[in-house]
Amino acid sequence: MSLLELKNIYKIYGDLHALDDVNLKVEKGEWLSIMGPSGSGKSTMMNIIGCMDKPSKGEVLLDGVDISKESSKNLTTIRRDKIGLIFQQFHLVGYLTAIENVMLAQYYHSVPDEKEALEALDRVGLADRAKHLPSQLSGGEQQRVCVARALINYPEIILADEPTGNLDDANEKIVVDLFHKLHNEGTTLIVVTHDPEVAEVAQRTVFLRNGKLHKETINENFTGEIKFDK
Amino acid sequence: MKKRQMYFRMITASLIRRRSRMLVALLSIAIGATILSGLVTIYYDVPRQMGAQFRNYGANMIFTPSDGSFTQADIEDGRSYIESADIVGVTPYRYESVRIHELPVMAAGTDLTQAKLTSPYWSVEGEYPSGTGSLLLGASLSEQFRLFVGDTVTVSYTPEFDGRSEDETILDNTIDLTVAGVLETGGPEEDYVYLQLSDLEQLTGKSGEIDLAELSISANSDKLRSYAEKISSSVQALDARLVKRVTESETTVLTKLQALVLLVTVVVLALTMICVATTMTAVVTERRREIGLRKAIGASNGGIIKEFMGEGMLLGGLGGIIGSVLGFIFAQQVSVHVFSSSITFMPLIVPVTILVSVAVTGVSCLLPIRSATQIDPALVLKGE
Repeated sequence: MSLLELKNIYKIYGDLHALDDVNLKVEKGEWLSIMGPSGSGKSTMMNIIGCMDKPSKGEVLLDGVDISKESSKNLTTIRRDKIGLIFQQFHLVGYLTAIENVMLAQYYHSVPDEKEALEALDRVGLADRAKHLPSQLSGGEQQRVCVARALINYPEIILADEPTGNLDDANEKIVVDLFHKLHNEGTTLIVVTHDPEVAEVAQRTVFLRNGKLHKETINENFTGEIKFDK
Repeated sequence: MKKRQMYFRMITASLIRRRSRMLVALLSIAIGATILSGLVTIYYDVPRQMGAQFRNYGANMIFTPSDGSFTQADIEDGRSYIESADIVGVTPYRYESVRIHELPVMAAGTDLTQAKLTSPYWSVEGEYPSGTGSLLLGASLSEQFRLFVGDTVTVSYTPEFDGRSEDETILDNTIDLTVAGVLETGGPEEDYVYLQLSDLEQLTGKSGEIDLAELSISANSDKLRSYAEKISSSVQALDARLVKRVTESETTVLTKLQALVLLVTVVVLALTMICVATTMTAVVTERRREIGLRKAIGASNGGIIKEFMGEGMLLGGLGGIIGSVLGFIFAQQVSVHVFSSSITFMPLIVPVTILVSVAVTGVSCLLPIRSATQIDPALVLKGE
């Protein structure tokens, strides 16, 4: 059984079919990239996978359970328990320190644990910046805090929306390296990106066009090792 | 770390690290709480303040004899039924017909120090007599006899027939007194000569009798009525009565003034709520993205309400504390400049101000926070 399965998914706004009969399976531990031009339906697909939106038609099976008809309240619970989100614009709470931002995800999930949050920051190489506010961190550092926050509750899927879109080359490499580490540890990664070089390091890439799955490529050379080099 | 600890860490971090934003909100709440606390303090202190002002209009209770006359001891007895803090002045009066320059005039023997307290509206040219040997002359008499401050006047009194033979000549008693001041009131007092009671007793040769006592008491009409009833029923020689034109006017003015302050307080409270609600709406609106993020990472609507209400109520509490202090200063300034006296600190107003401030902020926050929970995290996080 796949960890995530989209079955005949439609998302319709009036006459516009943002997603048009999309079918997709994501296996546990897989690293998938989703590519496509602007308006192709990437964000809509991410919102549906991230339990922030519901399809107009079709089924979304997460761990074999259809979540497409769940209430907003239940979707919040599912998102909190099973999905870690990484955003292009980082979205850290400006008045909380790096460690407090990580603990925020713990707070909503279960119980805040400062030691565990510090370990998560250590995993992304930011233990020494734990007490810094987002405004005192570089873009790359902020994105790494965002990664630490996404992985702190051991989610089944980490869903990243343009995670390197606002980063320079050096920080882009650091973040992609982190994804490699997470993948090697068995985390399922779904990365929405414009950047072909970021997409290519994944095991599989699907291409969206006009709301339909246009193409799918398998990275034959994927070894799970860090090869990303810009 | 417990969830509660993290909760307080978050809301205090929001207040401390977003100082400039929160100061605007805090200022708005504190100003509202200041005016509210100040007005409530004035509302409750107005009767006392106005009571003191009304005492300028003279006595509001009089003792008359229930049969003939009464004594100083009866006055003391009656006075014992009145709380000493309420007594502004008690002035005994004894009236006798005396002669000045062989013309009859009415003399009032009194305690002129107390008369100054019970009749503060008296205007005296010169000085109030400070002891025996001097008198206060009504302005009409001063003009009639061409007697002025510093002049000496001989006051005569013809004693009553005491049973001696008709052949015996009854000699007048006389006393030489200095005019210490000339009394101007625009009323009948200007036709009287006021002596110290002991001087009049010496002149007449009779002591101990009092015809009337005027009392100035700082109390509302209900309390005055209760004092009068108690004294009339307990002290046989006295008939205690209220000076109705004074007490009724006091009650009317006081009721209207309190109603006005209450109305202003209610209007200020409503304006404060609007102001705080507007500020909190602005605070919530500028944090839409943060709310969206919190929802995206798993916050429930209840959780969002709890966090923002916590911040709002903490702000309300702080604003209430600041408002209590500033409100007292505000009330004090109003009292000093309007009533020329300082305000009485009422400790109960502090917790009431804080509670009202927290409640007003809570209610004001409710609407913007409820709308904040409708925020779609997907839209906000995309920057739409």
